Amino acid sequence: MKFDCIVVGGGVAGLTCALKCAEEGLRTAVVSSGMNALHFSSGSIDVLGFGGDKKIVYDPFDDLHEFIKEHPGHPYSKCGGVESIENAIRFFREKIRENGPDLFYNGRRNHFSVTALGTLKPTYLSQKSVFNEKLKEVFSRKPKIALLTFEGFRDFYPALAAANHKRTPMIRDCELVTGSVALPESVTTRKNPHEFRSIDICRLFDSERGIETIAGRIRDAAAGAEIVGIPAILGILHYDRIHHRLEELTGALIYEIPTLPPSILGMRLDNALKEKYAELGGLLIAGDEVAGGEFEGGRLASIRTRNYGSEEIKADCFVLATGSYFSRGITSKFDDMKETVFNFQLEYELPRNKWRRSGFFDPKSHPFLEYGVKTNDLLNPFTQSGTCVENVFCAGAILAHYNPVREGSGSGVAISAAVAAASRIASHCRRG
Amino acid sequence: MKRMETDVVVVGGGATGTGVIRDCALRGMACVMIEKNDLASGTTGRNHGLLHSGARYAVNDPESAAECISENRILKRIARHCVEDTGGLFVTLPDDDTEYHKRLVKGCRAVGIDYEEIDVSAALKIEPNLNSGVLTAMKVPDGTIDPFRLAASNVLDAKEHGAEIRTHTEMVRCIISGDRVVGVLCRDNLNGELFEIYSKIVINASGVWGRRICETAGVPLTMYPSKGSLVIIDYRVNNVVINCCRKPFDGDIIVPGDTVSLIGTTSKKIDYDRIEELDVDDDEIEVLLAGGEKLIPNVSRTRVLRAYSGVRPLVSRSGDVDGRDITRGIVLIDHEAENGVKGFITVTGGKLMTYRLMAEWAVDLACEKLRVDVPCTTHERPLPGSETPSNRPVPHYFDGISKSVLGSAHYRHGERMDHIFSKDKKSYGLVCECEMVTAGEVEYALKNLCVKDMIDLRRRTRLGMGPCQGELCSYRTAGLFNDLGAADEQTAIRMLKDFFEERWKGVKPVLWGDTLREIEFTYWIYQGLFGLGGVPDEDEPI
Amino acid sequence: MINLENISFDHCIKCTVCTIYCPVARVNPIYPGPKQSGPDTERLRIKNPDLLDESLKYCSNCKRCEIACPSDVRIADIIQTAKWKYSPKRFKIRDFLLSHTDLMGTLSTSAAPVVNRITGLSLTKSAMEAFLNISSKRRFPAYEPGTFRRWYGRMKSEQEAFSEKVIYYHGCYVNYNDHELGKTVVRTLNKLGVGVTLIPEKCCGVPLIANADLPGARKNARYNIQSIETAVEKTHCSVVSTSSSCTFALKHEYPGLLEIDNSAVFNKIHYITAYLSRLFAQGPVPELQPVNLTAAYHAPCHLERMGGVIHTLDLLSNIPGLKIVLMHSECCGISGTYGFKKECYDIAQDVGEELFKRIADAAPDIVITDCETCKWQIEMSTPFRTVHPIMILAQSLGVYTF
Repeated sequence: MKFDCIVVGGGVAGLTCALKCAEEGLRTAVVSSGMNALHFSSGSIDVLGFGGDKKIVYDPFDDLHEFIKEHPGHPYSKCGGVESIENAIRFFREKIRENGPDLFYNGRRNHFSVTALGTLKPTYLSQKSVFNEKLKEVFSRKPKIALLTFEGFRDFYPALAAANHKRTPMIRDCELVTGSVALPESVTTRKNPHEFRSIDICRLFDSERGIETIAGRIRDAAAGAEIVGIPAILGILHYDRIHHRLEELTGALIYEIPTLPPSILGMRLDNALKEKYAELGGLLIAGDEVAGGEFEGGRLASIRTRNYGSEEIKADCFVLATGSYFSRGITSKFDDMKETVFNFQLEYELPRNKWRRSGFFDPKSHPFLEYGVKTNDLLNPFTQSGTCVENVFCAGAILAHYNPVREGSGSGVAISAAVAAASRIASHCRRG
Repeated sequence: MKRMETDVVVVGGGATGTGVIRDCALRGMACVMIEKNDLASGTTGRNHGLLHSGARYAVNDPESAAECISENRILKRIARHCVEDTGGLFVTLPDDDTEYHKRLVKGCRAVGIDYEEIDVSAALKIEPNLNSGVLTAMKVPDGTIDPFRLAASNVLDAKEHGAEIRTHTEMVRCIISGDRVVGVLCRDNLNGELFEIYSKIVINASGVWGRRICETAGVPLTMYPSKGSLVIIDYRVNNVVINCCRKPFDGDIIVPGDTVSLIGTTSKKIDYDRIEELDVDDDEIEVLLAGGEKLIPNVSRTRVLRAYSGVRPLVSRSGDVDGRDITRGIVLIDHEAENGVKGFITVTGGKLMTYRLMAEWAVDLACEKLRVDVPCTTHERPLPGSETPSNRPVPHYFDGISKSVLGSAHYRHGERMDHIFSKDKKSYGLVCECEMVTAGEVEYALKNLCVKDMIDLRRRTRLGMGPCQGELCSYRTAGLFNDLGAADEQTAIRMLKDFFEERWKGVKPVLWGDTLREIEFTYWIYQGLFGLGGVPDEDEPI
Repeated sequence: MINLENISFDHCIKCTVCTIYCPVARVNPIYPGPKQSGPDTERLRIKNPDLLDESLKYCSNCKRCEIACPSDVRIADIIQTAKWKYSPKRFKIRDFLLSHTDLMGTLSTSAAPVVNRITGLSLTKSAMEAFLNISSKRRFPAYEPGTFRRWYGRMKSEQEAFSEKVIYYHGCYVNYNDHELGKTVVRTLNKLGVGVTLIPEKCCGVPLIANADLPGARKNARYNIQSIETAVEKTHCSVVSTSSSCTFALKHEYPGLLEIDNSAVFNKIHYITAYLSRLFAQGPVPELQPVNLTAAYHAPCHLERMGGVIHTLDLLSNIPGLKIVLMHSECCGISGTYGFKKECYDIAQDVGEELFKRIADAAPDIVITDCETCKWQIEMSTPFRTVHPIMILAQSLGVYTF
């Protein structure tokens, strides 16, 4: 098999990069092993949420200029400048919209999304069922708010969210009620509602009858609230219609709150990316694992996978977007860690006790989150012998020198690096 | 200041303290137990949970060995849901001398432990994962014991016989009147309130912390705390206890414990002022894993869940400072006879295995002083949950409730599982998916087993003790605490944070491989998605 | 009771992804899903085999959980193994009949018309349901008189004349139920200049695995691998199969689940479209006649698991006039013998419902799928004729006409 570009890893970074490559007309394949971290994500896209000392960032793109200067080696400094980053995020938003959600954005500024513990988190793009213009406007009028869950649902507790919610000035003066909504009996007699995950509730909205029944109960439980917050369960494919119908039937504005996995919000993005990519003729090899590669003259010539055995899969360019520890892009042992697929040079420290800090929620977060593959300014990695591999580009959580959680930058870095890599690959391939 | 009166105050909620309070209550005395933290939160819950057959002591300490085998037989009878009769093996590793095997055989015979010398091939049949290169093997009646369950069951029985249990209540000092200890000044650690309990007798059963208690009564007690560290392996790599057949050393035993296996134990002398800071050092982990691998090679391929350590309360009876006179046996001190201080008894030393015997001795002495003429029954009377003499089959409640859920509850609570499941579907909704803890079990523990926070709950139920270390269940539990009225919202969120910090202590030293993957995932969820670590102070409008 | 070879449950991070993609958990409220049935309770079963829950029988072994798992946990393998390892060994005549496809085939083909008549009778169906717990609603596959191997016997000398040859692992289905597919494979390969050799073979073991007879499956696996090894060593030929599930077993379940080492021949075994698409890639591409059909393509679970779908699509893309409509990746529900069982029939149909609807929406001239049991399921549950991709290629090569 022969491709222009092979992307190893099917997460936000890998899929965005592959999508861009496919759009550039390159014959592209993605090899992915298992589902990606979108399945546990907030489904919002963070560009930069926190600066130094956990200071909240309001204008991510403006602040990025300074941020890049302060953080040499940060992936954002290797994405072709702040303007390119902004373009990459726009590219992502536009592509997602074609097969998936129309993402809300607050001009060039961040907005805040609500967490399951009622705290607010700065983010850049959110799904419209999470935040939108109408909500923004009604919130400012200090409306009555209801936070609801579904009876028996283990993975969302509105009272906990409400407690912190009340502490935010935005909501402090609002009347806030909590409650729960019984699921249709036709469902709960068949399966214990206390065993439901978000995905099980999500499926109840597949039928119009389901929507109507639940809408009626939400309306009753909301007790006249103008805004109703519920756990994120409004469908993976038809969320727009479901959201719209629920608002219509309840007469309230409804917003979704991300909660314990699986994340319905994230799956919508995953779905949208994969559909768009397939539409562009891209190939997804799922459930396989790259077992290694053949290097020729300092370039990666081909890879082998577990399923295809000795069959070589060749390409002009490759993207390494295998993620960090969770996705097994980095493998760690008792006394060492390494990049899993090609054993590229890794930036990390030894001994092991340097990998973490003493408190789990230490404000400075943990060093291991910043470890990753060493790259040059073009995102090319290095072999153990020090050769820079110019036809391999790295993107996403496999990259070193950034802490996605502390900075609130995970998806932003993934998208920016992916688009930067794809553009470089496209010109590489055009050069021949 | 609030003031209470009773016959006996028991200080300490470990195995000994809970054994003492049960014994007191069963003999009809009015009694109060105080524990500064939680039941079994000290040394009791920080060992390998071996139900000794006595074989480990048979060569060097026949007296302890005899105590062990006798208590072993009692516990198998009275605490069936706290112990598992797995059986144990002693094996000689390829590089070791088989001479010790012969000495062990002699020792076991002398003490009366039912050993059986078997072929290595037979040992491999019993334990297929055993290192196939071992030289000798013998079977001993070792088993496992769950210290958390044991302490909780003792307390449950004590409560049902009128005892009052106050966990998270610290003794500040003894109240002295003349030559007599007349009570204790306490502080409720949950709200900071001070109060007094006056009593005829104070029994100090606080293990290694006993020295401090004695100091407040003005009597000396010389302790030589020794730290022992262990690691926990993700699942049962062995189903019987496996001991090295040689003089005890670091990493010479693997004990299956409920769903996991534990490799023990190191031994390090520490200063008395360091008994609260128990970090497991990297070199200890290396030694333990290397030792475990020699017994069961597969240990090297398995996820290490946690590492932890406890402090053995070794006592010097003669008070000499160089520690030559240190004993691992039971130490019972009548401070009236020894130091002229009346109304004060210390029971310490010993081991988890002999907790009941220690309690019996201490309460016998207290009874003598109080002229209570009721004999001890703790060796006959089963603990709550183990009442029926033979194992009855796991009851089946509903369709759709899995055998593994029912079986886990039965394993943990014996017949008391009847109090866990009801017709309410909520009672069998899973909260902790790794250890199969249901909402019904959480509610039962909250109501009956002295649970004040999520960390206590973990000790009663195994919630958060499985591979994910609380990743899914902790938020659910915080929600349940609030739902059930056991914590207000802010408290529930604080408990959630505390729970992770507590889990982190044990995970931190073994942070590699799948453990690191699990932690990264948990961190994404709770810090990234929930923002649990810190609510931003600046509150900007959305 | 610990099998230390598959300890992949230890890698489970409890991320819950598998629960989303399990087609059975979606429709069956009694099934607790792959996470609980697999890695979660495996730890408990190791502690106490009695904790094996009966609900594991609802797992259809479609392997979609394994494709979804980011931790490389072989979830479906864990469940299949557990069914055998921890359950008291009880002989179930139904499972024996369903799993011994070769024995049943041998018995049935000798009296095929009679057997087909009988299995089609409603009386037989009710009897099978009452006594064997085989669903009376399931349409039984028809048996052909004689075997494919007997037909091949007459072709043998002709095949030996080819200088380039390939070994065909035909499997039970071709041998007993669908000689036409086997014959077409031979003609197609011949047309492409390749002769066909058969070797001694037994049932690949897939139905045995599904019915908790792992020792039986292992025995067959050992036999097959030895047979393939001997043949490959002598002839250096590739081995092809037209059944996606047989191929999956030969290549992946043998080492992964049955612990049978196939590394010496792993790279020699191919699903037929993988073999052909490589042949086409080497060129020259043979002359192909237009096949003016709109075809709905359904990708079988096991083909997806081993990444074989791209080869089938690649091969079909060569055929002029053929319009392929991809069915969104969904399990058809039957999962081999699963959909025949009384307790699983409704689940199988519920699982497949989405696919049937999509096929109906596409209103194709024909349905293409690589798996024989998917074919049975689709033909029983929709009005559309369903064929193996090779049949389409054969049509295009002019060696077969519909």
